[in-house]
Amino acid sequence: MSDYNKKRFLVIDDQPQARDALRTIAQTIGAFAVEFASNYQDAIYRIRNNAPDVILCDYMLGEGRSGQQLLEELRRFNLLPDETIFMMVTGEQSYEQVVSAVELVPDDYIIKPFSPDKLVLRLDRIVAKKNFFAAYYKEKRKQEFARALAILEAQRASETGRPYRFEILRQQAEVLLASGDAEASEKAYRTILENYEFPWARAGVARSLHKQNRLTEARAEIDKVVAGTPHFFDASDLKASICMAQGEHAEAQKVLDEVAKKTPRNYLRKRLLAEAATLNGDTETARAAMADVIANDTMPGAISPEDRLTMARSHVDAGDKISAEKVLVGMRDAEVQAMNLAEQASFAALLAISSPEKGKTRFAGLRPALLGSDLGPTASIDVMRAALSVGDHELADLHTEQLMAGLDAKKVFGMIRTQYALHGREKDFREIQKQVALKRIHHEEKPAA
Amino acid sequence: MHKLLDILASGVHDAKNQLFIAESLIAAAEAKHGLTMSEARYAIEAAGNRLSRTLAAYGVLRHDATLGVTPVLVADLCEEVVLAQKKHLSGENITLTADCQVFDEWPLDRDLITDMLNNAVQNAGRFARDQIRLSAASEDGWLVLRVEDDGPGFSALPPEHGTGLMVANRLAELHTRKGQHGSLHLSNGGSLGGGHFELRLP
Repeated sequence: MSDYNKKRFLVIDDQPQARDALRTIAQTIGAFAVEFASNYQDAIYRIRNNAPDVILCDYMLGEGRSGQQLLEELRRFNLLPDETIFMMVTGEQSYEQVVSAVELVPDDYIIKPFSPDKLVLRLDRIVAKKNFFAAYYKEKRKQEFARALAILEAQRASETGRPYRFEILRQQAEVLLASGDAEASEKAYRTILENYEFPWARAGVARSLHKQNRLTEARAEIDKVVAGTPHFFDASDLKASICMAQGEHAEAQKVLDEVAKKTPRNYLRKRLLAEAATLNGDTETARAAMADVIANDTMPGAISPEDRLTMARSHVDAGDKISAEKVLVGMRDAEVQAMNLAEQASFAALLAISSPEKGKTRFAGLRPALLGSDLGPTASIDVMRAALSVGDHELADLHTEQLMAGLDAKKVFGMIRTQYALHGREKDFREIQKQVALKRIHHEEKPAA
Repeated sequence: MHKLLDILASGVHDAKNQLFIAESLIAAAEAKHGLTMSEARYAIEAAGNRLSRTLAAYGVLRHDATLGVTPVLVADLCEEVVLAQKKHLSGENITLTADCQVFDEWPLDRDLITDMLNNAVQNAGRFARDQIRLSAASEDGWLVLRVEDDGPGFSALPPEHGTGLMVANRLAELHTRKGQHGSLHLSNGGSLGGGHFELRLP
């Protein structure tokens, strides 16, 4: 048995009596330092300030939040070191179905009521597992992917790794995907699926295919996962992203509308919904979703300049230039100065559209940089729109050409066509499309280098 | 119908929370006064398991039971059944031994299978003279979990009044892998000469 008297515990539960019960059990197994968090925000604050050794988190946190959402947010914002033990505590059987499906899982979960002995048994196992993976965690944190993978490969073949074989495979697949080797991660996830049809592994295949831009195959895989495990919400997010890449914006929005209703306080999902709604031409939904994000995402530092730009963009889409201008002008100078080129381009472009007298000069000043850079699809569309609105055809057409030749062509096609139509330039758009297609054919006819 | 399930699930959830509060208070009293009240805690956990089982049975009867399958170390599974049952059985002068010969993980629904084994051991405890044996083996690609006792064996095979048995059968069948289904077999004899519960998972 590990020395739980030396470990710092954090008990997260919104119900005072249940919180006391968890503390009592923790003390019974020797815990000396037990902190409390009574809600989501408080929990994040405490974990951020000083990550505890052991977290006992109730699944139901009240206010439309769940322990699972907390866990996902902590993992995504890198607030939870791999060394910290996260144990979900639940009276719900149904949580088991969540754990068996999703990609982001706690170290373990335990169903109430349980004895102190059982908790110790479970914690001891996690401690052993964390010790086993300790060297790997270090390399993973430093993003030394090759070294992390080498450690896992050696462990996979070892006798001591025998009890953790599935976990090793899972970690290998995740690291491969994170390192950008989507072909290898696809293979790793398929190896897992040969053993058993885990929804998270099937989703991993879809994610890997999406990264390889093999959209039709990715869609077929993720459709299976969403149909089989509707409570696996991240799978729905992934499906929506794939739909958007395919240019199926209405389907993307439909999928996200449904899950966002079930998880009203998941603001990453709300952002995705805003993106899908924008592409789908549903400006009101996009505006409402972004307004909700900016008002209510209280995760420290969660609201980025990008979010404010998105908010302003959705006002522009809705034809509400006054609100758009208000958002842009309301951004702090320091925030604007710290933006990267793509964000600065968006900022100048959106301001030029919503308030020509305030934005035109800034936009014109950026022009040389905008002619020479690949800004990524979002900023590129903003630049194209602003250029169309100020009559700068050369700049607009250049970005349109870049967009149509890029990986996101299907995703942004409808939006670009709408913009050219608004300015009576449908013909020119078709001409650009033709040129891009011709270049592509020409390129493909060239013998491989 | 869905509403009924939600009401039941929420009731079960609340009841289990209350049971947990009771168990924590007992554990605190044990620690404070140096008492042993393991039978009280055993009864509380049995009540919790019973509630879970009722909910699972409801799902099976409505034909919409689904599993939550994760890779589980078979040795851990056996260890937890022993932890839950051994002390109680020793109070009845019955020795529970475990023999786990499977050293890898197996994809299965941990909570359901643990509950089925706990239930099988409890049943065996009612008839055993003084021995119960829990074992796990891998046979031709199947995971075989057995609970055997040295009592008189089942008086009728298959046993009568078997709602619980029907549910357990169904939950075993729901475990599928590469087109093969799990199954449950009850017989008499076995290595200890009494009741023999055998759960086979693909």
